Amino acid sequence: MNLKTLATTLVVSALSVTAASADILDTIKERGKLIVGTKADYKPYGFLDTDGNIIGIEPDLAKDVADKLGVEVEFVPVVSSNRMQFLEQGKIDLMIATMTDKPDRREIVLIPDPNYYSSGTNVLALKSLGLKEWEDLRGKPVCGIQGAFYNKATSQTYGAEIVAFKGTAEAYSALQGGNCAAFVYDDSAIVAKAAEPEWADYEMPLQTIDDAPWGLAVALGEDNFAELMSEMIIDWHKSGRILELETKWGVTNTPFAQAMHEKYK
Amino acid sequence: MTYRTDLPVMLPVKRPEAEPFLGLKLWHMLPIALIAIIGPSLAFAQSSADGQTPFGILLNWAPLLLKGFIFNLVISVSAMALGTVGGAILGLGQISLFAPTRHGSWFVTQFFRNAPWLVLLFFAMFLLPFEINVFGLKIPFPDWFKAILGLSLPVMANVSEIVRGAVRSLPSGQWEAAESLAYTRLQTLWLIILPQCVKRMLPPWMNLYSILTMATVLASIVGVNEVMTLTGQALASEGGRPDLLAPFYGFVLLLFFVYCYPIAKFTVWLEKKYAVIT
Repeated sequence: MNLKTLATTLVVSALSVTAASADILDTIKERGKLIVGTKADYKPYGFLDTDGNIIGIEPDLAKDVADKLGVEVEFVPVVSSNRMQFLEQGKIDLMIATMTDKPDRREIVLIPDPNYYSSGTNVLALKSLGLKEWEDLRGKPVCGIQGAFYNKATSQTYGAEIVAFKGTAEAYSALQGGNCAAFVYDDSAIVAKAAEPEWADYEMPLQTIDDAPWGLAVALGEDNFAELMSEMIIDWHKSGRILELETKWGVTNTPFAQAMHEKYK
Repeated sequence: MTYRTDLPVMLPVKRPEAEPFLGLKLWHMLPIALIAIIGPSLAFAQSSADGQTPFGILLNWAPLLLKGFIFNLVISVSAMALGTVGGAILGLGQISLFAPTRHGSWFVTQFFRNAPWLVLLFFAMFLLPFEINVFGLKIPFPDWFKAILGLSLPVMANVSEIVRGAVRSLPSGQWEAAESLAYTRLQTLWLIILPQCVKRMLPPWMNLYSILTMATVLASIVGVNEVMTLTGQALASEGGRPDLLAPFYGFVLLLFFVYCYPIAKFTVWLEKKYAVIT
């Protein structure tokens, strides 16, 4: 991905395509439309309804931003490997796409504080496998999603062999088919999955690791927009909007969202 | 063509056809469709908590997936059109009498013909800006357009070879006869050579179109919202149920088969029609 980013930067500078020099807030208002990059394959944070509209927790948050600016909202589906690039290119104004907040990512995009959400890494595995700790995964094949942050610790620290799939459906299928010992993903999704009747034989056996905050992002240099987003995020925590959306989309209230609500209340 | 004679002659060897269901008609697609979709659905017949069968869920998503598939067709037709225009020029360049044009065209053709389609697609996707500023006018460069450009490059190179091959395949007598009738080179090409080439080029050209259509799903890797991308997103939106994988991808397979098979049949028919009897 870094190579791609580099290539894009090189070409963009070579063609001297001028980055939006005007303040992006003015551009958005002029356009009458806020363009937001969200996931379209990450239920319930961003997914499709049968008409092809993007819905979920993050699209709802994006709508709040558009309402605040008094403009329409348009969603652009992004995936982990292109979301920051779209923001750099100016293809989207705002990215709310389940992105883990990392220092190296802060060099590429502008992530306003505080964080709006958080999740950790855990695995879904057969109960009969009797996993006790992360070390048990060493040398075993573990299913993951291409480009996901969760794969990193599992493979680097605990030596599991990641088998990366395009989407969750493929990964779940591979897990059921016995192609891998476990499926590494974010803990909130796994809790929800393990609660389903078809997955009664499966559990989330390990301690959640890498509990990392999620950051929404705007393009570097858009300080005014970032400031506005900071206010929005604090507002969301204060009013309990995040908790409300979690309930709306069927996620058990996460400790992070509760703690933030307490903090800003 | 059959010839009748009373003389003892050796008849041509009749080879068995590979196609088991000879004369598959368009309406046959319907039962095939039903088998392909209902089959896997029945195999995974355990209905989910909300009582919907996999087939029912697929039915809900079918309109959206069909829309995505139409997008694939738009990409394929546009890439084919662009590639054909470029390829025709490049192909004629390959038979140019002017050496630099000939060599240049040859190089471009070989370069794009021997590059993986996906790599060319990545190049088009990530090296082109998402919009271009021309005299203050912003021309947007959407993803699907970049995908069309990326896919038209290998098509162009292949068409170039088809054109060159077709021209070369004509007996040299055609050129000589034209020359003896004092036709200029341009006239010879335009009035004598190319009209004969069209017939020869049509079957491989249609083959290439078929291959291109099936290659449009590559665009899903670079994030274009075509049928494969939508299928993945639809599956995720249904909560990643493994029992839906087979019906959904089966449906996509079927869409392509129903579209491409008649083209293949038509190509075979054209090939037979224009076959040179020796």
